[in-house]
Amino acid sequence: MADQIPVIELQHVDKHYGKLHVLRDINLSVHKGEVLVLIGPSGSGKSTLCRTINRLETIDSGQILIEGKELPQEGRELAQMRAEIGMVFQSFNLFAHKTILQNVTLGPIEVLKTPKNIAEAEAMELLDRVGVAEQAHKVPAQLSGGQQQRVAIARSLAMHPKAMLFDEPTSALDPEMINEVLEVMVELAREGMTMVVVTHEMNFARRVSNRVVFMADGQIVEEGTPDEFFDHPKSDRAKDFLDSIRGH
Amino acid sequence: MSAHATSMRDALYEAPGPRTRRLTIIGTTISMILVAIGLALVVRQFYVTGQLDAKYWSFFAEWSTWRYLLKGFVGTLEVAAMAAAISLVLGILLMLGRISSNRLLAIVTRIIIDFFRGVPSLLLIYFFYLVIPQYGIRLPSFWMITLPVALAASGVLAEVFRAGVNAVPKGQTEAALSIGLTPGKTMRKIVLPQALRIVVPSLISQLVVVVKDTTVAYVVSYPDLMQNARVLISNHDSVVSMYLVAAVIYILINFAINQLSIYMARRSGTPIISRTTENPT
Amino acid sequence: MGYAELIAEYGDKYLHAIWETLSMTAVCFAVAMVLSILITVMRVSPIKPLRIVGDIYVQIFRNIPGVALLVIVAYALPNLKIALPWKTCVEVTVILLASAFGSENFMTGINAIGVGQIEAARSIGLTFGQTMMKVVIPQALRSAVLPMTNLLIATMLTTALGSQVPLNPQELTGLVSYITTRSTGAGIVPFVISALCYAGSAVLIGMVGNSIDKKVRIMR
Repeated sequence: MADQIPVIELQHVDKHYGKLHVLRDINLSVHKGEVLVLIGPSGSGKSTLCRTINRLETIDSGQILIEGKELPQEGRELAQMRAEIGMVFQSFNLFAHKTILQNVTLGPIEVLKTPKNIAEAEAMELLDRVGVAEQAHKVPAQLSGGQQQRVAIARSLAMHPKAMLFDEPTSALDPEMINEVLEVMVELAREGMTMVVVTHEMNFARRVSNRVVFMADGQIVEEGTPDEFFDHPKSDRAKDFLDSIRGH
Repeated sequence: MSAHATSMRDALYEAPGPRTRRLTIIGTTISMILVAIGLALVVRQFYVTGQLDAKYWSFFAEWSTWRYLLKGFVGTLEVAAMAAAISLVLGILLMLGRISSNRLLAIVTRIIIDFFRGVPSLLLIYFFYLVIPQYGIRLPSFWMITLPVALAASGVLAEVFRAGVNAVPKGQTEAALSIGLTPGKTMRKIVLPQALRIVVPSLISQLVVVVKDTTVAYVVSYPDLMQNARVLISNHDSVVSMYLVAAVIYILINFAINQLSIYMARRSGTPIISRTTENPT
Repeated sequence: MGYAELIAEYGDKYLHAIWETLSMTAVCFAVAMVLSILITVMRVSPIKPLRIVGDIYVQIFRNIPGVALLVIVAYALPNLKIALPWKTCVEVTVILLASAFGSENFMTGINAIGVGQIEAARSIGLTFGQTMMKVVIPQALRSAVLPMTNLLIATMLTTALGSQVPLNPQELTGLVSYITTRSTGAGIVPFVISALCYAGSAVLIGMVGNSIDKKVRIMR
């Protein structure tokens, strides 16, 4: 695995918001089939990092490589690259004027030029897989948060992505809906999807991830397997953080 | 993160790459040149038609000109303030009728509201200026302009108030009734005060419409800002300069009122309900 | 003077006046829609000078009183060697006013969409053009239905400015002033007829707009 080209690779990535140094010399690679969880206190830069991989945030210096090729800066090339990387947002961001089915088929029809009937058949399959097939002809506002987020995952999957980015996918959900979304993500991980997940769900991280990356103040402070990280954190920052979320 | 701080029209575009940046610079340069050419053409037109001559503008350097305009402005304020006060009261009364449980009253007030919202204020002015005198009622010119402006505004205000009342959570009414307040008292003590607070920014923005409507006061020869500007025009033969200055004054007044309304709306977190956002039926 | 006499004497003029008001309204609204799309494109373009010009345009024409603009178009412009026919003066005035509010309506529609949906469109690989055509514009248009219905009514009411210049034939408000000054016995009747024409059209327009809105409204 080590000599394979990583699906996602960040080299010496730096970013500022004005005076604020939000990403400091980030080096990270994600290999095929890997599930990487990014955790850290709020304001640590983990969401920003996740969004730079899709160029929803620009970087000041360094490089982002997708399968060894540099992330394009604009135009069709960038759109093409984004089509290959799925993204799931904290606030679902479904298209409010389209039905659930249309939300899922928009990308395949417009970007992949899939014929409509094939795109719809595939979309129904995906919606069935995430458990919202019965809602296909409703509009987003008629669905619960958990259902909307599962649709958002299906929308990304419809593009047959090489990797999926999850930016705090359960943070905006009511507690009773978190599990239905996590279940779908666990399933995806089992099927071998390459995933980068920003989350506060420690159980998910422990159960599913191959690697945990802990960030603070824009830096990667430490990384390791879930067991290493949760049971034997090396840095004080990580210890403090784990203590605080465990409620000690 | 950064995207949420910026306005929606910036959010339509992502951070530009080198090609986009180049195109933007080219576009900016070309459009700046075009704007400059446009402005130059306007100034040139003023120049060749002699409208930049000192005689058309020098009287603005005299205090008497501004004193006269100021007098007109006070007239505008008097009409606007009185019309606003009347329409406020009428608006609330019409709204109360519109939401009343008495079917007949509700229908009648609804027709009245639709009538005043669906008729141009100029037509109402002609009603007070030309129709009413035929029945032997001669109003002072102040009322011939103030009443129609107030009536036109009251129809819109009634709907603004209704939106405000609807925005007060149902639980408030239920809670008030449950502690034994009568429906009338519930409206007066609980719902109306909250509804009023919600519509304050909308009321302020409605002032703009009132100020605009007062500008036809010259029809009834009431000395407001516009009418006094017309007098100055005949004194100085200065159609272009005077009308432009008058327009700028009105624009600044209304701009200020609008900004105040936006500020109030932002501070209290309530949306501005206006003619364009209300329900048309 | 009763309704029958009035109609016998001025019936023809009334038909013309109704036609004038409604056709001016339709023409002005149509042109204003095109213009407000143009202004809105300028205001959301990434090119700063265009944005500024668009913003200033809207601030000027949403804040200027109709009459103040009409007198400039009708009486000041001829001094600058730009003389337009009376009716064109009224139409230009109404179009300028309506287009400013039209652009505001579109901007409100765009603002309601939210950054998230645009990021989502980008993330599935839609280009800028596709994002505009498939996500932004459809939503902006659909949420503009109700405000634009109200704007159409307001446009009709604004054509009453035609009573302030000598139009021939006259529109509904000018005709009232014309009849009432000529036939002193006309009383309230001419006023009532015109008022009902306006208010009736307004209610009708409102009903149509409302039913369109119900069909296309976006649930949020």
